[in-house]
Amino acid sequence: MALSVPKAPGVSQMLKDGARMYSGLEEAVYRNISACKEFAQTMRSAYGPNGMNKMIINHIEKQFVTSDAGTIMRELDVEHPAAKLIVMASQMQDAEVGDGTNFVVVLAGALLESAEELLRLGITTAEIADGYEKALEKALEILPKLVCHKIEDYRNVDKVKDVLRTTIMSKQYGQEDFLNDLVSKACVSILPDEGTFNVDNIRICKILGSGLPKSEVVRGMVFKRFVEGDVTFAEKAKIAIFSCPVDIIQTETKGTVLIKSADELMKFSSGEESLLENQIKAIADAGVKVIVAGGKVGDMALHFLNKYGLMAVRLNSKFDLRRLSRSVNATVLPRITTPSQEELGYCDKVCIEELGDTTIVAFRNEGKDSRIATVVIRGATDNFMDDIERALDDAVNSFKCLTRDGRYLPGAGATEIELATQLSAYADTLPGLEQYSVRKFAQALEVFPKALSENSGFNGTEAVNLLYLAHNSESGKNIGFDIEAETASTIDAAKAKIFDLYQGKFWGLKYAVGAATTILKVDQIIMAKRAGGPKPRQAAGSDDES
Amino acid sequence: MASISLLNPKAEIARAAQALAINISAAKGLQDVMRTNLGPKGTVKMLVSGAGDIKITKDGNVLLHEMQIQHPTASMIARASTAQDDSTGDGTTTTVILIGELLKQADIYLSEGLHPRIMAAGFDKAREKTLEVLENCKVPVEINKKNLMEVANTSLKTKVHPVLADLLTEVCVDAILTIANGTLEPVDLHMVELMEMQHKTATDTQLVRGLVMDHGGRHPEMPKRLEKCYILTANVSLEYEKAEVNSGFFYKTAEEREAFVRAERDFIDQRVKKVIDLKRSLCDGTGKTFVLINQKGIDPLSLDALAKEGILALRRAKRRNMERLALACGGTALNTFEDLQEEHLGYAGVVYEHVLGENKYTFVEDCKHPLSVTILIKGPNKHTILQIKDAIRDGLRAINNTIRDKALIPGAGAFEVRAYNELLVYKDTIKGKARLAVQAFADALLVVPKTLAINSGYDAQDTIVKLVTEDRLTPDLAGLDLATGEPMKPADMGIYDNYIVKKQIINSCSIIAGNLLLVDEVMRAGLTSLKG
Repeated sequence: MALSVPKAPGVSQMLKDGARMYSGLEEAVYRNISACKEFAQTMRSAYGPNGMNKMIINHIEKQFVTSDAGTIMRELDVEHPAAKLIVMASQMQDAEVGDGTNFVVVLAGALLESAEELLRLGITTAEIADGYEKALEKALEILPKLVCHKIEDYRNVDKVKDVLRTTIMSKQYGQEDFLNDLVSKACVSILPDEGTFNVDNIRICKILGSGLPKSEVVRGMVFKRFVEGDVTFAEKAKIAIFSCPVDIIQTETKGTVLIKSADELMKFSSGEESLLENQIKAIADAGVKVIVAGGKVGDMALHFLNKYGLMAVRLNSKFDLRRLSRSVNATVLPRITTPSQEELGYCDKVCIEELGDTTIVAFRNEGKDSRIATVVIRGATDNFMDDIERALDDAVNSFKCLTRDGRYLPGAGATEIELATQLSAYADTLPGLEQYSVRKFAQALEVFPKALSENSGFNGTEAVNLLYLAHNSESGKNIGFDIEAETASTIDAAKAKIFDLYQGKFWGLKYAVGAATTILKVDQIIMAKRAGGPKPRQAAGSDDES
Repeated sequence: MASISLLNPKAEIARAAQALAINISAAKGLQDVMRTNLGPKGTVKMLVSGAGDIKITKDGNVLLHEMQIQHPTASMIARASTAQDDSTGDGTTTTVILIGELLKQADIYLSEGLHPRIMAAGFDKAREKTLEVLENCKVPVEINKKNLMEVANTSLKTKVHPVLADLLTEVCVDAILTIANGTLEPVDLHMVELMEMQHKTATDTQLVRGLVMDHGGRHPEMPKRLEKCYILTANVSLEYEKAEVNSGFFYKTAEEREAFVRAERDFIDQRVKKVIDLKRSLCDGTGKTFVLINQKGIDPLSLDALAKEGILALRRAKRRNMERLALACGGTALNTFEDLQEEHLGYAGVVYEHVLGENKYTFVEDCKHPLSVTILIKGPNKHTILQIKDAIRDGLRAINNTIRDKALIPGAGAFEVRAYNELLVYKDTIKGKARLAVQAFADALLVVPKTLAINSGYDAQDTIVKLVTEDRLTPDLAGLDLATGEPMKPADMGIYDNYIVKKQIINSCSIIAGNLLLVDEVMRAGLTSLKG
């Protein structure tokens, strides 16, 4: 450390060059709030079915057109530390529930906006944070009472459809029924008899061309590959899966063939050939029709595979290999041996299909025992398909939550307004200063119906008024905002089947309040100089983008 | 101007009064930054590192580490505070503000012409007296759960949210008591593993009486949950390793090569077989299961063989986990599979795998006499986890210190107020100018209750007057109740600080402050490199 004799006193003098420090209400708190507010404002217009899309060009010049909050935030590369906290909260929501990311951002933004007004009134940040935590506690207490719909039998496609629709609607308004059909079918079809539903078991394969209505669900798996050998079709096939290359086995230590004469060379080659032939013949004799390899399929092996009429597929990703083994119920073998009958998998139909100009290898299992389903999305542009994929992703995640907790809250802003009504009433019973922040918390919740109506082209305040009016009566608990009507009007969310996940709201509230209070409690920011050099590489995402 | 300059022309220099001013202003500056952090009602700071990572903290030590201080005096104070953390684990913020206050008080007298040397000598005297008072205030305690809870809670409340603090207190105390296993000796804190999981919320943090490892079985067919498990900890390679010497195979026919392939594996297969044999002899028919935890690698073929037997095998376990496993489950870590016996094995009630996104965790729980435990930290994001981690470390240290000292000091500023009163009495027995230094020292001590009051929104002067009078009136110590702003008895509220922490603070602060006062020249050698 190069120490130098400093000239002027002050804390900033003590820090390394380029470090910045902000402290106190004016510098730190208000600035944080305004940054978050601005950020939330951006996201607010993307909220709900009528939310606007954003066009984002990220740091590697890739273009996105989407209204999915998760994607927007990921690609925007938010740098402001306070806004980053909100992004993190939202990402946690994504990890925990898989839906409702925008909810977190918008709520946290609204809470901070309200906090600012309270701060100007002279209430301290600690008191506001305390009040918000109190309100959250109360809200989470109220929440279970608002549940209006419950699904116990999540194997019933029609019932599942009812609830998944809202999730898809908020991403792909207009196509919700078609997509809903795909997702619900796919999810229910692969639900194991026991054990939990795994999101990973729904694969999505995007193939350019044609239109969305041509999308379909394939029970089993689809890979954008071509077969190795000549055989391109197999029915009612037994499948052997190897994680090693299908070729002549090599020793780990370097081997040298010691040959003294041409004769020996001949013998060696033929010996090698017959060995491999025997091996493949044995596999074929076991009834195997399809071989899936995790590594290279050697030329000579290929020759024999063709000879014995075996179809060969090579998958490069070991994760794909594992999924396939799950899908066809096979055991992945680590070396070339003749598999026993239990180790073999079964698939109704393995074939090559051409969709547009893409060739795919499909493993179709029409029977009940496929553990994996693939949704093949067709569409005109990559962007469009990406967006559909995100919508489906959210829906699949919702389904996962549904299998864990089948409780649903009324959507369309009904829950938020009901919470707001009850929290305002609760605020009146509080003696201390925290009643102000509880009341502001209630007001912050209004932002959702407001956003819904504003995004649909109506006056936000009017919509909130209408809703409050409806919620005043005992029967109006489920009244939400109707985005489809010509004029601003309300709708019974339970009857219109607009449902939100209970889990989604529960965690969403928790994370949003957590982020907002953390930001409020910070009174000093010390920022080191931005490190030079290339940006740290993003942690490699899941390696299953096929 | 002298024709020959003494120093390299690029050297920087500050003399006498200027040097002192620099030191004092630095100490004050640092105090300003840190003072808002003190106590349960302190605010938090957000630190953004060069890479854009966010850290939110209240912990003085963390803050000093991350602030990238470049000022020589400030970095000296920071180092004193770091030393405080190293030796006691707590009291870092107090150190910084006390040094700042000592210099501030000294400055008042120095500006009136008092020589720093006298000041420093007076500080020494005052320090000795204060330590004496500290000895008298010491409350011997019995080491039981209640007392440990109190001291841990006092420490944790200053670091995290009260609800979380209560939870962590329980976790920390239980962790230490489990490891201590009835003895009243300080424990090895390395035996408490802190494992983090980005999941759910902070209040889901829990104590696992066993071990949590951040990796899982590497074979899809391996069991995810086992009960009544034998645990074999080993450091034996179960994968093919090339010989050290350059070696190669020579073969003539493909059959020969096949044989080589098999022979090559044979060595490893033998080892795997030994494990499998042991498993069969112990587990078959007894309903027990088998877990292998290996520090070295296990290749896919061996994994496959083990998976077929229903053995859960973990490879590349961390070195420190091997040690802990032996403590948690019993058994010994083996370096060879020769002579594999049942007594080498450990035992755990449940072993299961938990998958979180892409990360796998293996829990080894329900051990008979766990001498090593894991605190599983959960939190929605990185900065929360970090905050909890730092807090837990401090909490554990606080508990351990208590066990070592077998004594506590009443907290909430009570001790400082008592020391102030005692010092004022002591002052009158001293002759000469050193008296002024004792006065300064006494005033400086009050900064702790003062800051506590300010951070909680009370009037500093008001509170101090109240506390000082209260202390004079009663023989008991009087601390500050942050909820009301009134004096109270810390013993009633269960607010205790560590004896060693206070002792260390008093010692190091007065020494550093004395040192800084005696500095009369600050210089920096000119850079001789060509760059300069």
